[in-house]
Amino acid sequence: METTSFLPMLILISSLIPGTMILLLREEQVALRTFLNLLGSVAKVGLVGWVFAGYLRGEEYTFVFDLSPDLTFSLRVDQLGLLFATLSSVLWLVTTLYAIGYLEGGQHRRRFFAFFSFCVTASTGIALSGNVVTFFIFYEFLTLSTYPLVVHRGTDKAVEAGRTYLWYTIGGGTILFLGVVGLFVVAGPINFGQTEIIANLISENGPLLTVLFFMMLAGLAVKAAIFPLHGWLPVSMVAPAPVSALLHAVAVVKAGAFGIVRLVYDVYGIGLAEQMNFLTPLAIFAAFTIIYGSVRALFQDDFKKRLAFSTVSQLSYIALGVAIPGILTSTGAIVHLVHQGIMKITMFFAAGNIAETYGYKKISQLNGIGRRMPFTMGAFTIAVFGMIGLPPVAGFISKWYLGLGAVESGSYWVVLVLLVSSALNAAYFLPIVYRAWFCEPEQEAVPMLKSGRLETPALLLIPVMVTGLLSLAAGVFAAVAGSPLSIAREIAEKLYLL
Amino acid sequence: MIWFLTIVLPLLAAILAAFLPAGRRGSGLIFAVAAIPALWLGLVEVSGVTAHWFLMEAHFSLDTPRRIILLLTGILWAAAGIFAGSYLKDDARRGEFSFYFGAAMAGNFGLLISADVASFYTFFALMTFASYGLVIHSRTPSARRAAGIYLVMAIIGELFLITALYLAVQSSGSMLLADIPPALAEAPNGRFIFLLGLIGFGVKVGAIPLYFWLPLAHPAAPAPASAVLSGAMIKAGLVGWMHLAPVGLVEWPSLSLLMVSLGFAAALGAALYGLTQVDPKTNLAYSSISQMGVMTVLLGIGLYGGIPAGLLLPAIALYAFNHGTAKALLFMGTALPAKVGGYWRILMWAGLGIGVLAIAGGPLTGGLWTKYLVKTFLGETSLPGAQTFLLLLTLSAVTTTLLLSRFLHLLTRIGAPAENKAPAYLLPWTLLLLAGGWWTMSPALLPTELLNHITKEKCIMAFFWNLFTNWSSLWPIALGAFVMAFTLKFAFLNRWPINKPLLPPGDFLHIILLAGNLFAKLLKKGNSLLRSGMPAVLGPEKFLYRILDDKRTSQFSASAEALLRRWEFIGIGFFIFFITLFLFLR
Repeated sequence: METTSFLPMLILISSLIPGTMILLLREEQVALRTFLNLLGSVAKVGLVGWVFAGYLRGEEYTFVFDLSPDLTFSLRVDQLGLLFATLSSVLWLVTTLYAIGYLEGGQHRRRFFAFFSFCVTASTGIALSGNVVTFFIFYEFLTLSTYPLVVHRGTDKAVEAGRTYLWYTIGGGTILFLGVVGLFVVAGPINFGQTEIIANLISENGPLLTVLFFMMLAGLAVKAAIFPLHGWLPVSMVAPAPVSALLHAVAVVKAGAFGIVRLVYDVYGIGLAEQMNFLTPLAIFAAFTIIYGSVRALFQDDFKKRLAFSTVSQLSYIALGVAIPGILTSTGAIVHLVHQGIMKITMFFAAGNIAETYGYKKISQLNGIGRRMPFTMGAFTIAVFGMIGLPPVAGFISKWYLGLGAVESGSYWVVLVLLVSSALNAAYFLPIVYRAWFCEPEQEAVPMLKSGRLETPALLLIPVMVTGLLSLAAGVFAAVAGSPLSIAREIAEKLYLL
Repeated sequence: MIWFLTIVLPLLAAILAAFLPAGRRGSGLIFAVAAIPALWLGLVEVSGVTAHWFLMEAHFSLDTPRRIILLLTGILWAAAGIFAGSYLKDDARRGEFSFYFGAAMAGNFGLLISADVASFYTFFALMTFASYGLVIHSRTPSARRAAGIYLVMAIIGELFLITALYLAVQSSGSMLLADIPPALAEAPNGRFIFLLGLIGFGVKVGAIPLYFWLPLAHPAAPAPASAVLSGAMIKAGLVGWMHLAPVGLVEWPSLSLLMVSLGFAAALGAALYGLTQVDPKTNLAYSSISQMGVMTVLLGIGLYGGIPAGLLLPAIALYAFNHGTAKALLFMGTALPAKVGGYWRILMWAGLGIGVLAIAGGPLTGGLWTKYLVKTFLGETSLPGAQTFLLLLTLSAVTTTLLLSRFLHLLTRIGAPAENKAPAYLLPWTLLLLAGGWWTMSPALLPTELLNHITKEKCIMAFFWNLFTNWSSLWPIALGAFVMAFTLKFAFLNRWPINKPLLPPGDFLHIILLAGNLFAKLLKKGNSLLRSGMPAVLGPEKFLYRILDDKRTSQFSASAEALLRRWEFIGIGFFIFFITLFLFLR
């Protein structure tokens, strides 16, 4: 039973309107701006929660609006979209809090928070879009709304990074655009989930559809930072910490990864993709990226840069899971969409806290930081164990499903890739943990840049603790109904029932 | 409820104790209280539970061998906890120690009561990584080095382990640990999976050739932590093996022979190598490797078939119980000679003597009985060469006595305080003495079937006295003790090292590191050769040189090198390489 509902639209509006209003405010109206921001993010979490509850009751929410006779703007709530929307809205709320604390007293905060809101509008739009065209609209909207965030600091380096970012994403966007248009011409409008359309056309238009698949994949791979299209990601970590956190955890990179999931599962269909051998190249590139990103991460001394290369590596777990057909690997891929997000955002928050409190940006400066910032580094340590894939943190669950699925489908080489990646993850993350907890600080008393009763301002400390605990909870309570794992498993089971 | 308390109480204790003000009396009691649920589960049979909400649906239950080891583990952690409370009361990092101690304790209890793969792996990892904090506790350069090597080896072990678990779960189609041995017995790649597990858990057990971290790491920790490392945590690897081994279901001659020969090599080799050491704790660590070798032998003969798991596994657990209590006694005992004075020293020496006798299988101790269990099963197996094995076992009693009497001699060299006094931690040590290997004969631990199998319906005490009067166990010990006494007595025979170990602890680790360093040097040399010839070359090769000459590339390689040096990576890499080679050539 499909009825038109404004709820999906409301979810988008809940961040679009505050964003626009913030643009209209003056820079000094801090209180009002903060109020709008928080109102928007709380409203969004509430709305997503409401839709989630409704969805569990069996209600369907669709918002369709004809742009032209052929083109429809369609928002539709399905499980996969809901999972991503929940991730975006919750992490947005947390990051908003963090950004308010982080940018306190900074410049151009009006611009920052406005685009910050637009950015999350775009990523929930991506989550809820019901067809390929709508997805593309939000996908490009995201590119444009994140650019001002990347160059926020306005330094030469930031502008340079912004340029690289635009080159990559606009380039990727163009290829994706060509693919989407081509697909529209060949197959007409495709709603997500209507895999039968392509399946019927494949016998006539096989080669063309293959080319289109790889074009769209390449376009999406830019944002998903799959080698060799990952170059923008390590550069754009010059952005302020909350932006990096959001960029690396939910907004941009996840849009790419989510797009790949949609493309394979809901447009072409997993069965067809496997049959046409579309997935092998994806698997190879993803596997290579996993190793490559980890190896590059090993050699970074800049804290955020090491995290950035780690993101490159970790994101490809999702692509790899998509590329190995099987119910377990699909579960692993989908659940990692969420798990990677909460773990990586914790790490960026922690890096930001250290940089804001003591001005340390290099890993070699972190000796003994655990003693000074126990809660921040505690959360960071949890995330590290998750990234390595050690239980009971969330990352273990993803890796377990991916590994078990790989064994089940007979792709033993994937297990090897996972093992090597775990070892490398340990090699580049554990030294940080070691420095923080087991090394003596080089200087005894270091002045805090932002002093207070807590180890760092509460607005910076609470978000990192919340996401750190979430990473732990997502693993410990993985079997509880409503956990990311249980939802991912349902989605995967549905995929293979068809 | 009690299942959850077993894990949650130590975790709570870890957090609570970390925040207790320094010097607070009775802080060690917190850990004793936290061990109560584990002790309860070890003594009373409680039916298993399922936690639908934990991880990927967790199951907790116990079988006889694990119940025995849980009791051992509970006793050791409780005793070590009280011991640490007063032993470390003036230590600046006492709070940190308590945190890692409690976390490792929770992991150790948790892995023993877990009945499914995910929670077992979780608690195993918790224990492994928490005990890193115990090893590095003193923060001395040698402790840091030992901890680094421990960590690298632990991660390698975890990787092998998770691979084994992936494959095992896939072939059994269930997350329950109990389903794994039958599945491995059936599966075509069952042997390969078991081999992976053998390596993965072998790191923890200290099996040859994976043991070299152990003589560095176990002695590096403070005495009570060494005691639980060598007495309780080392047994976790053994439990892991028991979970995977399809004892009594298969006939795997090659693997069986592999385990038996590696086991004997450890039993004899480690004891002999340990003789070259001068630190009593290193001495004990080698003794642990040696004793774990005997348990490896026992499990190995189980893979040859013919002996039911219901008899063999409890026997291994009883052997572990005796060794664990005695080894913890000796490890904590290393802290005593410098602090105990006057009449108390009589108690101290009596306790240490009993501990040594218990490990060597001497009269009046539980060791006599548990060693008899090993002999019985060695005599029953149809594995070719069982007679030789019995001889080797007797020989190992001689080497063990040699090693441990040397340990006692090393302790006598520590100066005693003049006045008649004893530290507070002598009390938990004495209590541990009472909880010794004798209990392996009590009906609470000894399963009736095993008793009937061994004693043929005789009462255990009558049997034990019979064994005792039978003296056959005494002569190897007497021989060992005599040799040690003789060489110490006469100066021209007394060649024992005193200040510096004759050979470095960690033995063949040094060969690995040497090979690694050589390799790194060669790499460096090759790199500089390439660079020196660079400017003369023209043509298309120039591109390659540009890459090599690039400033970033040189920085890159410099940092790469620094990393390799720091983590002694190459050496460990070599090791992985050989293992992989071995697996492929299998």
